[in-house]
Amino acid sequence: MASLAQEPGLVTITIDGTELQVPKGELVVESVKRLGREIPIFCYHPRMKPVGMCRMCLVEVGMKQPDGTVRMMPKPQAGCTLPASDNLVVITDSESVIADRRGVLEFLLINHPLDCPICDRGGECPLQNNTLFYGPSTTRYVEVKRHLPKAFPLSRHVTLDLERCIQCGRCVRFTEEISGDAQLAFLFRGAAMTPRTFELTDLDSKFSGNVIEICPVGALTSSDYRFRARPWDLETRPSTCLECANGCSVWFDHRGGKMVRINGRVNDAVNEEWTCDKGKFGHGYLNAPDRPAKPLIRKEDVLAAADWSTAYQQIVAHFEDGRTAVAGLVGAKVSNEDLFQFKRMFHRHFHSPNLDHRWTRILPSQTEGVRGLHGIDEVHTRIAEWESVNAALVVGNDLASDQPMVYLRLRKAWQRHGAKVVVISERPTYADHFASAVIRCEEGKLFEAVARLSAAVLQNREGADALRAALKPFAPDAKDRAAAEALKGEFFTVCSESVYAKPDGGKTVSALANLAVGTDNAQRFNLYPVGANDMGAALLGVHPGGQGMNTREILEGCIQGRIKSLWLLECDPFALWHDHQQVQDALENVEFLVVQTSAPNQAMQYASVVLPCCAHVEADGTYTNIERRVQKIEAIWRPKGDAKPSWKLFTELMLRMNPSRPIFEPSELMEMIIAEDESFAPAAYHNLEGNGACLPLGVDAGAQLFMEIYQ
Amino acid sequence: MPELKLLLKHKARTLDEYRRIGGYAAFQKALAMDRQAVIDEIKKSGLRGRGGAGFPTWIKWNGIPKQKTKRHYVLCNADEGEPGTFKDKELMESTPHQVIEGMMIAGWATQADVGYIYIRAEFMDCARAVKSAIDEAYAEGLLGKNIQGTGWDFDLHVHLGAGSYECGEESAMMSSLMGERGMPRLKAPHAPLPTIAGLWDSPTLINNVETFACAPHIIQNGGDWYAAMGASTKNSRGTKIFSVSGHVNKPGNYEIEFGTKLSDLLELAGGIKGGALKACIPGGSSVPILNAESVAKAVIGYEEIGEVGSMVGSGGCIFFNEHTCIVALMWRTAKFYMRESCGKCTPCREGTDWLFQIHDRIIKGGGRPEDINLLKQICAQIDGRSFCGLGDAAAWPIVAALKVFPHEYEYFIQHGKSIVDTPQSKLMFPYAEPVPV
Ligand SMILES: Cc1cc2nc3c(=O)[nH]c(=O)nc-3n(C[C@H](O)[C@H](O)[C@H](O)COP(=O)(O)O)c2cc1C
Ligand code: SF4
Ligand code: SF4
Ligand code: FES
Repeated sequence: MASLAQEPGLVTITIDGTELQVPKGELVVESVKRLGREIPIFCYHPRMKPVGMCRMCLVEVGMKQPDGTVRMMPKPQAGCTLPASDNLVVITDSESVIADRRGVLEFLLINHPLDCPICDRGGECPLQNNTLFYGPSTTRYVEVKRHLPKAFPLSRHVTLDLERCIQCGRCVRFTEEISGDAQLAFLFRGAAMTPRTFELTDLDSKFSGNVIEICPVGALTSSDYRFRARPWDLETRPSTCLECANGCSVWFDHRGGKMVRINGRVNDAVNEEWTCDKGKFGHGYLNAPDRPAKPLIRKEDVLAAADWSTAYQQIVAHFEDGRTAVAGLVGAKVSNEDLFQFKRMFHRHFHSPNLDHRWTRILPSQTEGVRGLHGIDEVHTRIAEWESVNAALVVGNDLASDQPMVYLRLRKAWQRHGAKVVVISERPTYADHFASAVIRCEEGKLFEAVARLSAAVLQNREGADALRAALKPFAPDAKDRAAAEALKGEFFTVCSESVYAKPDGGKTVSALANLAVGTDNAQRFNLYPVGANDMGAALLGVHPGGQGMNTREILEGCIQGRIKSLWLLECDPFALWHDHQQVQDALENVEFLVVQTSAPNQAMQYASVVLPCCAHVEADGTYTNIERRVQKIEAIWRPKGDAKPSWKLFTELMLRMNPSRPIFEPSELMEMIIAEDESFAPAAYHNLEGNGACLPLGVDAGAQLFMEIYQ
Repeated sequence: MPELKLLLKHKARTLDEYRRIGGYAAFQKALAMDRQAVIDEIKKSGLRGRGGAGFPTWIKWNGIPKQKTKRHYVLCNADEGEPGTFKDKELMESTPHQVIEGMMIAGWATQADVGYIYIRAEFMDCARAVKSAIDEAYAEGLLGKNIQGTGWDFDLHVHLGAGSYECGEESAMMSSLMGERGMPRLKAPHAPLPTIAGLWDSPTLINNVETFACAPHIIQNGGDWYAAMGASTKNSRGTKIFSVSGHVNKPGNYEIEFGTKLSDLLELAGGIKGGALKACIPGGSSVPILNAESVAKAVIGYEEIGEVGSMVGSGGCIFFNEHTCIVALMWRTAKFYMRESCGKCTPCREGTDWLFQIHDRIIKGGGRPEDINLLKQICAQIDGRSFCGLGDAAAWPIVAALKVFPHEYEYFIQHGKSIVDTPQSKLMFPYAEPVPV
């Protein structure tokens, strides 16, 4: 066969007699997929460096000689580590390859407990699958099998069955290469080799759950899910995690109306295929036995089940046209559609601007936020872009907690191309281990630390004289100057709104924005929200705007009697607000309290009316993550009892107050959102299949400095 | 043929003693030579690696980039883990400067910055000898900055292993030296050669102790002079040290010219002891075993020993007399490889374990006729399929034993006891009653 014309960067290889062009250096295990073929694997994982440990992927390999003959290599080669080069010849289906696969599987199985009938992995196990396709059907092993602990706890979440482990090293490599905490390592050698934590340590990684999924057998099991179900008992539906604002794609496994397991779902724009432990193990509340299933109304000090119409009647009586005497507070897991309809109800029917979704100590008004003071957007960088940054400034709380996926991408940037990272924080963070500089400041001194680093960074640069002058009082020390070295050119800033929980959070954010603006890095500035749909709430205007009261003022208003009726939508102020006493006083004092919730919470005991609403897995809706990606979540199971989707509940109430054309579908609400704010145009429902759609980022009005913070 | 002593000719532990026998003259000569000329001399000599594989040394030296963009390293493999081999030990103990001089010549030829001697931790005396030799060399300005006014800096360090055979495998050695678990790394064609990306991803030259020790002699006397030795063989030049042990009267290290007969080596070691010659493992425990007939025919040379079905290996030559039970010998061998498998790859990790289990069962009297075929197939499933050479090394001896002494296995399986039934042979059996001495 004549060689194909060569394109630059491509090489011509032959797989099982078919010639094809592939990028030079592509691993043969990947090239084979281009032909719709497959090389069986265990240890290889496309997101980690290949190691060639398990030998499952052995193939015959040769080199085509100039005279057209093929010189075969004497030994089979691992397809997972072999890079494609010109004239490479690969054979994946010869008798000897088939025999090699059978041999490797036989070896893997001789000491395997074969407890598939009780194994969590049975039915979705690569070892089972490969054995079925390529393995021997009987064993020749008559010796006594190795016996090892079957339930060795690695952490609160992960339990290791040492007998099932095939020593592929995926778990160890995950902690070394991906999460970076290197909490697992191989102990002992030869057949006794086992993955373990180090002496006296736990697998307390924020990403530990992933090892359960990448384990190619049932060795790493979820302590919660162990022996709870077999894969074929489960119904698996795509969903999005709402435990933080990254919005990772997940598979939601449920059975009989109960959530059983959450696995990562591939989404190269957001989470690749990972989840963090908060997300993977944090959805237990959906199974709470005491989730409200009927509207409840307080009658002589007890909450009693009631019907919707009575509940609506009371609410209308207390809220309609309540003006500044009524207020609403919102939690993070509320869909865009719900938020939009809630806001409409408040604005149009209650004529109240008193709405807020924020629970941090500092609640900047429109004019005090980043946009107000600095004229720049809060967010400029998409999650996937973080893996190609060259320099970054990470400020505030632990990035791995607040923005787990940004953390993983940034770590990748460091690992792949040595990105320089500067961390400023009060406490140790996950990113410290790869940061080129860590500035650890005292509690409450974040602002000063940022100011000092700013001064050091500006010493290396031209321009920004006014800012440099304003920073005079902040003399950088040697450490700051060393850190500034990493920020000499373009750099990205990342901070999370959790910084607003700190007394100096507002000044810190402003100082960061000044630094970004002053160094021409404003287009790389990011202040990411933390709550699942905080971004949606901010974009949809679920905040006091210019006229209304913010969360603090609303709580104070309740205490002082200025707020007579308060509506809590999917939020528990006791869990969210820093001052418990203030919450208690507010809820005790307010005349009429609506608690609309999908899960029982502490505020319910003060409620006048409790409205059961759907959790995200029970209603269709969209959510906007940190990179303004609007993702649609579809109802997976039926609501509990009489619970309703929140938007529907608001719609019904609004119809009572003003009969008009009803809304039947959340998609109609999205159309209304788009009509009101055209930046939402990409999020029309027909665009949301797959990985959702991104709204514009980095909408800057003209960057400016704000120097008063330094006085 | 008698011994031909080159490397083992002198005992010279101190720098003074070494100078007295002409030490470091070769290094001085090399410094005056063009770097490439040094490599060309090694090429002419026909020197092949003495660590086991017999790879042409000059190709490695020549493979280190001539245009320097990174640090270059020289690594001396002094792990000497192959059972039966103890030549590097003697070289380091009796003439440590000879090894160091070889590394310095190699360092000069490859523009190296740093050299490491990775010594197995059991060889404390070697480590002490080499360390004090290095100190002496530093004191005399042979190591360190601007050596002999050439502007060339070269540092040498001793690194102790932690007790693993696998750490003698060159890429595992590099992992170990860099502080990682002693597991092998990907090799060509899966990854660049160590001469391009070895230690810390920088060009690294790795050779065995004996290989380095040859270099001063080659540079001093010329490659042609060296290549004249062993000229009777196909492609083996110079001398080779064999560590002779087992049932011989005078066990020890013997340096011979390539082309010497294996039987002559046995004679040098005082001949067989305690009974007639039965078998020989000529190159360390991983090479195939030979029977007496093959020993009589064998000529020592990389290709020549291959003709009778074995290998020069590392030169750990073990002779066995007639009281040796081959099955028990293989039990012992299998146990070694099972314990030393690093665990990285499936065939070696599981296969070596299985090979031992079967031998153990046979030795205890529980052998089955089908075990012979099973052993052969397990070996075939390991050989060439494992990640590094340890797997192969575990399979070869057993393959050979089954081929050369099949009746011993058959007898053991059939009768539940060894075909060798003499009081002396009892010593070999792990589960037998101890024989009163
Ligand atoms: C399992 C295994 C163990 C080895 N152990 C040693 C050793 O102890 N000493 C040694 O010099 N080479 C050993 N080798 C060979 C080295 O990998 C390497 O080939 C040698 O150091 C190269 O040096 P040379 O070219 O001078 O022979 C071993 C190889 C394998 C596969
Ligand atoms: S526990 Fe699972 S992932 Fe880890 S080495 Fe064993 S088989 Fe591989
Ligand atoms: S053959 Fe495999 S298990 Fe054995 S030592 Fe080499 S890498 Fe380790
Ligand atoms: S998949 Fe290639 S060696 Fe494991």
